[in-house]
Amino acid sequence: MKKLLSKLYLLLLMAFTVFMMVVIWDVTLGKLVAEFRHRKLSQQATEMKAGQKEASETTTFKQAILEGEKRVKHYLGYRVLEQRWLKGHFHHIDFDFKPDKHNYCINCHGDMPHDKVKELRAFGNMHASFIGCQTCHVRLEGSARTGVFKWYDRTTGEIVDSPVEKGTQAGAYNAKIIPFERIDGRLQRVDTPERVAFARDYRKNEKTLTDIQKSKAKKIIHKIVSKKPYLCGDCHRKEGSLLPFKELGYPQERINVIVSTEVVGMIHKYTEFYMPRILHPGESEEK
Amino acid sequence: MLRLNAKTIFRWSFSLLAMVLLAPPSVPAADIGNCLLCHKYPGLSRIDEDGRLRLLFINEATMNSSVHARVKCEDCHTDIKKIPHDPAKKVDCLTQCHIVEPTSEQKFSHKEVARFLSKSVHGLKDRDQKPKKHPEDLPSCKDCHDNPLYRPLSIFKQKVHPGISKAALGRCRVCHKKDEFIYRFYNHVTTRLHKIRSPKNIAEICARCHDDAQLAARHGLSTKAVYSYGETFHGKAALFLDERVPDCLDCHVNPGRSVHQMLSYKDSNAITNENNKGLICANMDCHPGASPKLAEYRVHPEFDLERNPYQFYAQVFFLGMTGSVLLPIMGLLFLDLLRRMFPNASLRRRK
Repeated sequence: MKKLLSKLYLLLLMAFTVFMMVVIWDVTLGKLVAEFRHRKLSQQATEMKAGQKEASETTTFKQAILEGEKRVKHYLGYRVLEQRWLKGHFHHIDFDFKPDKHNYCINCHGDMPHDKVKELRAFGNMHASFIGCQTCHVRLEGSARTGVFKWYDRTTGEIVDSPVEKGTQAGAYNAKIIPFERIDGRLQRVDTPERVAFARDYRKNEKTLTDIQKSKAKKIIHKIVSKKPYLCGDCHRKEGSLLPFKELGYPQERINVIVSTEVVGMIHKYTEFYMPRILHPGESEEK
Repeated sequence: MLRLNAKTIFRWSFSLLAMVLLAPPSVPAADIGNCLLCHKYPGLSRIDEDGRLRLLFINEATMNSSVHARVKCEDCHTDIKKIPHDPAKKVDCLTQCHIVEPTSEQKFSHKEVARFLSKSVHGLKDRDQKPKKHPEDLPSCKDCHDNPLYRPLSIFKQKVHPGISKAALGRCRVCHKKDEFIYRFYNHVTTRLHKIRSPKNIAEICARCHDDAQLAARHGLSTKAVYSYGETFHGKAALFLDERVPDCLDCHVNPGRSVHQMLSYKDSNAITNENNKGLICANMDCHPGASPKLAEYRVHPEFDLERNPYQFYAQVFFLGMTGSVLLPIMGLLFLDLLRRMFPNASLRRRK
């Protein structure tokens, strides 16, 4: 036992020595190497000097995509506010969505897919943050239509209890709504394991597929997608709403807001006065 | 069935009283136009035509902790006249808003700030009133400012710590009846008693331009101004969130002036001018009575043989020496421990 403890002690000392060597390297010789490298890069930048700004402003993938993911911490004393940093964004965000790891649509379309209709795009993306794509883009017909909708966890994909509680910030949920269909008498969620696996396999093998194979795969993946998605008024209505808000756990006061005159009236204004093309999506865009 | 005896009534009364007293003060944002009907949703966003993320979410709680909490949305977003509205235009920070400045009783605007900035080192014209090269590099409001958040201070028996002093609030409530006013006033005053940003945050903001090697090169600046600050004692302390150390603005802004009035070190009126910089360190809040020579040390030493040969050789010598001595010692120590671990181990084959 004593021998074992002694060996363990030696092992810990060795680990500590290695750790200290790394630290010493970092603050001494490693730092010198880093300084020389940094100096070299700075000199290269200096050599570019004035007049070459246009060349330096060429949008690279790193600038446009990766640097947009920078984060910033505001030290307020009584708390630290950490958030995504967006250049020129004035208002503080102070909120992060957990990534939706289950949704297979966003693998290709991203999690802000709505951008065609100017008046609708931000609202579409807002709803996509707590409503699964299939809820609006899959119209279940006949016996498949169940009227059953449930919440799934963004991280695990599992069906969970309603995250909508009294006092919760509206739309800030770690879950999304997914419709259920009835196939052969069995109730199942629309994003079945088979559909998820097919889409994931497509992504995995995409580079090796021929153009025809890609077209076939896309056709199969989008087979369930309806040409005409459900629109605002299909849910924001007092009677016959597509989504069963009560069953989805919405408190009555939230339901009252969702189907309130303010919201419904605004949708009415949109559809009647500002963007009648919302009733015929795609048509006016093509024009 | 609930029995209303004295004990139950006491418990309920106590619970209600506790709820009222402990509940956070409700400070509604100036959302007269009901903008939050849509903008309260965190997912309200889009990718614009240039591929930039446009986040349209307004976090009401955070907005209420900011200096603009009482400003109505449409005071800044003046082009929005109806709901639903078209894509909002860029906000002009110089717009006159509906807040009335109490001493002048004039409507508030940031025009004075723009006037200060135009005459500062960050202005678009040089000292001879000639347009500067690369005006697009020079900062405008949002390059340095996001919505400033309150950083209230509690001062109790000469001890200062972050947050709101309940004892002070109690004194405010003797005369003032509206909690919304009390919290706002308290936040505003105590935030202004110190910096609205920590030294680390201030350095990070300056670094966006002053550590950008290409931008610095275009304007003939020292390439790593903030990085080199981070190498000093003050910078290290700032990194560990020490609020007592000077940040960029403490040295580069003349005493009693706004940050927007910062002058070039070439300007004879600038505190950073060769003839005045002795006053920087010796001010009352930092090193009172210090010799002007204290300010003569190089605050922004660059690892550059041409610009700072002494610092360069000193750094190479000391870092090289320290590493060259300590690393072999640690290596020997490791080998010694290895031998103790395996006393009979040998690389040679035993005969």
